[in-house]
Amino acid sequence: MIKADVQLDAKGLACPMPIVKTKKAMNDVAEGQVLEIQATDKGSVADLAAWSKTVGHQYIGSQEDNGVFYHYIRKCNQEASEVAEKTFAYTATNEEAIVSGATILDVREAAEYAFGHIPGAVSIPMGELAQRMNELQQDEAIYVICRTGTRSDMAAQQLAEAGFTNIKNVLPGMVGYEGELAKEVN
Amino acid sequence: MSNKVAIIAANGGLFDAYKVFNIATAAAASEKDVQIFFTFEGLNLIHKQRMHVLEMPAGKELFAEGFQNAQVPAVPQLVEMAQELGVKFVACQMTMDVMGLTKDDFVDGIDVGGAVTFLEYAKDASLTLTF
Repeated sequence: MIKADVQLDAKGLACPMPIVKTKKAMNDVAEGQVLEIQATDKGSVADLAAWSKTVGHQYIGSQEDNGVFYHYIRKCNQEASEVAEKTFAYTATNEEAIVSGATILDVREAAEYAFGHIPGAVSIPMGELAQRMNELQQDEAIYVICRTGTRSDMAAQQLAEAGFTNIKNVLPGMVGYEGELAKEVN
Repeated sequence: MSNKVAIIAANGGLFDAYKVFNIATAAAASEKDVQIFFTFEGLNLIHKQRMHVLEMPAGKELFAEGFQNAQVPAVPQLVEMAQELGVKFVACQMTMDVMGLTKDDFVDGIDVGGAVTFLEYAKDASLTLTF
């Protein structure tokens, strides 16, 4: 199963109920967290993607299992993310990160990673980084990537402050990546 | 672009109710301002008693089962949900006068207005729909 922060059961409900329930459920989701919506309405596949786009959240993807659609949406605050400044001094392009052969650390949420990441990239979501830093070597070269470079900027700073010496923030991030994707979904 | 959706509900059958309220609730759930102007038979859709017994178009009664199988919410439920999501209902004063209806005949929380009320709201709406 893909990890989500909040689950919504909208199974058995017809249009427009999955959308209405999703809107309400989103009120209890913190910014940056992922909501999983379980629905049997086939229209929900197109509708939830369109709804996310309209409202300004990130539609991560959906998969079907036994007639149930599992949709994943990450709550965004567009105004905040547009003004967020990237301040970590050491950066690299997507291409530089890939040809380096070094560790690529993907700090997006588990669901985002599951729906497509650079083959070989290591997943530690931003919120878990502080506890899981010990999985990384302090002196190894690490290219930190997220969707647009904002979370990876914060993660890079966090790692540098913790004593990591060879950290680079990858820009533009997964939004600009057109290469092969590894997935953990069907 | 304006965030307003203006809807005219001018027909009073069961299918009309779903057309109106599905679009209205979906728009409201997408964080749009929605106002519905109920006029002529459209008033049935928010009439306290009639909204429970809206008719299928003649010859389409066989769809009753389909509605049940698809677990489509009942019209009164949709009305309540629309209001909860902030959809504004405006009943047409002229039609009410013609049909001898008062504000008390309708669900709570509606406004009563005339054609100009709707036009004023709709003048800068990004979408205007008629059902």
